[in-house]
Amino acid sequence: MTSDSDADRSVSRRVVLAHLAGQAIDRTPGVTATAGPAGRWKTIGAQHTIPGVVAVEDGRGRVDIEVHLVVLWPPPMALEQLGEQFRGRLRRSAGTAGMSERLGAVSVAFDDVRSDTELA
Amino acid sequence: MSEADRKARPISSAEQGEQIDRRDDSGPLRSELGQTTIGEGVVTRVAGLAAREVAGVHDLGGGAARAIGSVSQKVGLGDVRTQGVSVETGETEAAVDLTLVIDYGESIPRIADLVRSQVIKRVESITGLLVTEVNITVNDLYFPGDEADEASRVT
Repeated sequence: MTSDSDADRSVSRRVVLAHLAGQAIDRTPGVTATAGPAGRWKTIGAQHTIPGVVAVEDGRGRVDIEVHLVVLWPPPMALEQLGEQFRGRLRRSAGTAGMSERLGAVSVAFDDVRSDTELA
Repeated sequence: MSEADRKARPISSAEQGEQIDRRDDSGPLRSELGQTTIGEGVVTRVAGLAAREVAGVHDLGGGAARAIGSVSQKVGLGDVRTQGVSVETGETEAAVDLTLVIDYGESIPRIADLVRSQVIKRVESITGLLVTEVNITVNDLYFPGDEADEASRVT
């Protein structure tokens, strides 16, 4: 049975890791987050909503992260490399925050490609 | 998410120097570290944007598609970026069909070759898919002043 404090910690971990994922997206060149056409890909924290990031507890104390990205045209490198770069950033951030063990699978979905004028 | 996007192509990921086999006979590896997916719509858009990069390509799509596209875009339904582009993707390969409008005075064979090269270069380098064919239909020629004539009919 899960106590309220366990649940609170779980929510907190989930939101912290989602926040770190959002920061990692911001630091990855050539991509931006997308909440999707219906705005369903997002994590709602206490103070901020993190668009394009879905964080889910995997039931084993870890948090799986799924990010949805729009690629800016032309992309600076292959999409797979961009995905790896994002993962690396997120893993390092989680390590710095002492949450390496809590970070589960990190899935990256490229959902769209847009030019600068389309984004403006 | 569109139907095309739901058929996203998963590819493997390697994390922090850990080497993971990219693919095996049973399909793409889904690592516990996560997977990367590229939506089919993304491949279509890359092909369309790559074709538009070639000087001499005026537009993509057939006459009807462009007419309907301009209307549907105005009401927020259309996506002009996928107009005139059809892509079939498998696990590792893609085939692209393009319908082009070329500027009058340009060499159609030369522009077609340039478009084919550019689309292959962009799709392969960006998505990692092997492009097996790029079929090009030149549907129309654009004459300077065509748009002015169209405008004069509606005033």
